[in-house]
Amino acid sequence: MSEFSAIQAAVLADDVYALTRMNSIKQATTYLKSEHGDIFDFDEKNMLKGVTGGPGFIKTRTAFGFTLLGKGSLKGQAVILFRGTQYLADWLTNLNITASRSASGEPVHDGFNQAFKSMESKIREFMSIVAKNNVHTIHCIGHSLGGALATLCGDWLASNYKRGTYIYTFGSPRVGLQTFVTACTRNVGADRIFRAYHKTDIVPFIPTWPYIHTPNSGRDYYLPSPGIVPMAKYHGMDQYLNSVEGQSWDLLADLRSASKDDSRTVQWLKSSTPLGLTITSIEWLNRALIYVLNKITSGAAWLISSAVSSSFTLMDRLAYMLQRGVDLAENVSKWVLYLIRKIAQVIGFGKVVNTIDLTQSFIRMLLTRLQSRVHQFTHNVLSKVLVDGRAV
Amino acid sequence: MSINDFAKVCLFSQMNGVITLDGKPVTNAKLVRTVKLSKPDSDETHTDAQGNFEFPAKFTRSIGKHLPQEFASNQDITVHHNGKQYKMWSAVKRTPDENSESRGKPLVVACELNSEETLIKVNNSPIFSLCTWDVEPDKKRNVF
Repeated sequence: MSEFSAIQAAVLADDVYALTRMNSIKQATTYLKSEHGDIFDFDEKNMLKGVTGGPGFIKTRTAFGFTLLGKGSLKGQAVILFRGTQYLADWLTNLNITASRSASGEPVHDGFNQAFKSMESKIREFMSIVAKNNVHTIHCIGHSLGGALATLCGDWLASNYKRGTYIYTFGSPRVGLQTFVTACTRNVGADRIFRAYHKTDIVPFIPTWPYIHTPNSGRDYYLPSPGIVPMAKYHGMDQYLNSVEGQSWDLLADLRSASKDDSRTVQWLKSSTPLGLTITSIEWLNRALIYVLNKITSGAAWLISSAVSSSFTLMDRLAYMLQRGVDLAENVSKWVLYLIRKIAQVIGFGKVVNTIDLTQSFIRMLLTRLQSRVHQFTHNVLSKVLVDGRAV
Repeated sequence: MSINDFAKVCLFSQMNGVITLDGKPVTNAKLVRTVKLSKPDSDETHTDAQGNFEFPAKFTRSIGKHLPQEFASNQDITVHHNGKQYKMWSAVKRTPDENSESRGKPLVVACELNSEETLIKVNNSPIFSLCTWDVEPDKKRNVF
């Protein structure tokens, strides 16, 4: 393995915010040399310009990241850095999120996808430089929206080029639906994807399910942060730098005190403790849903074949799949029942007694309500400040 | 925090200073200051007979302060003197706090137009300048 350490990735994810605002490449070069030594080749062509702007905003092309060719101790390696954007909140609170096809043909968030596509030709150019320089390893790094772009970039590189690709993200939103996540995890390799996130960072909660995080196997890097309410503060790159300073990836992986593996998911599904709509219950529901969907394997295959254009249609399909789970053997249907009971509990819908209640339309109704409640929950945190801020 | 402070961010702290050229005070030079969070905004001042100048603090409102997003804002000062231009200060401010350039102290600089541009990082903000001021730069992380 020649992965970057957590602090190396975090420092570069932070650097890109200053680098993209510098007045000249000379300044950027001086900065990188002064911070890290003479280990990066850097010129005008390295600037990645991308389209920014939220829905309804005028789009402008601005510096969005950098491609860096390693030298000295980093010879044979390359780095692609992406920054976040001030329009992230606008994107994420927009209810009309549509999915579009990623480079590998899987459904991903259209806004993130468009932003990445606007930079793709530049990255392609960079790859011809990479080819001439015997580069064996490429690191894609980003914070916030930059994390989503790094994920798409890593997926694109792994699909199109035969080189070791690594993805490092800090506080990344969710990029795609399950089939994308599965394909990306397989293409890049679960052990080459490093997703670090704070417990109370709001951004990794959005867009809400059915968007899920990459990778969907292996490890993620859960960083404890105080409190139980998600907020903007722990999204800050400064907070991420503090949290990973002096920690190895292995140590960070161990911080996940309540390891949510399958046996714990089962335990949670079966438990009867009262539930409210909290960060923790949303996280458990996400895991439980994936666990139960995986039980209904033929349903999962059906989902892969479907072209997804809106989350509402996806809701219908999931309801259909879950309902099929009910019709299957009892050892599958009981899991669907456990899950539906939990969902009903979280949205305060009273008691679901047995499998006879579980018609497709009933399940769809519960899923839709759950989605809108979860969306409301995360939306409140973001848009309340948004509205208050604009009112001043 | 009063309602007027809601979303208030500091783009450039008050700066007092003296400008010299080869050690001699630069008189009546024009200083143009530009800040840019999303749109550029400029103002100017002049040095007095002793080479002194003052720029008041520059604030703006940005809801971004309360949103999950990174703060990064450009700071530039160009000195116009005897038909020549000098890039005196060029920085990316990475925190919305006032006086972050000097770790909370008033920002008082001495700038020699004939000096080499230097780079220091204070509160995670890289500052290229022809100036010196009383501040301890950030500790280098040396991660590579």
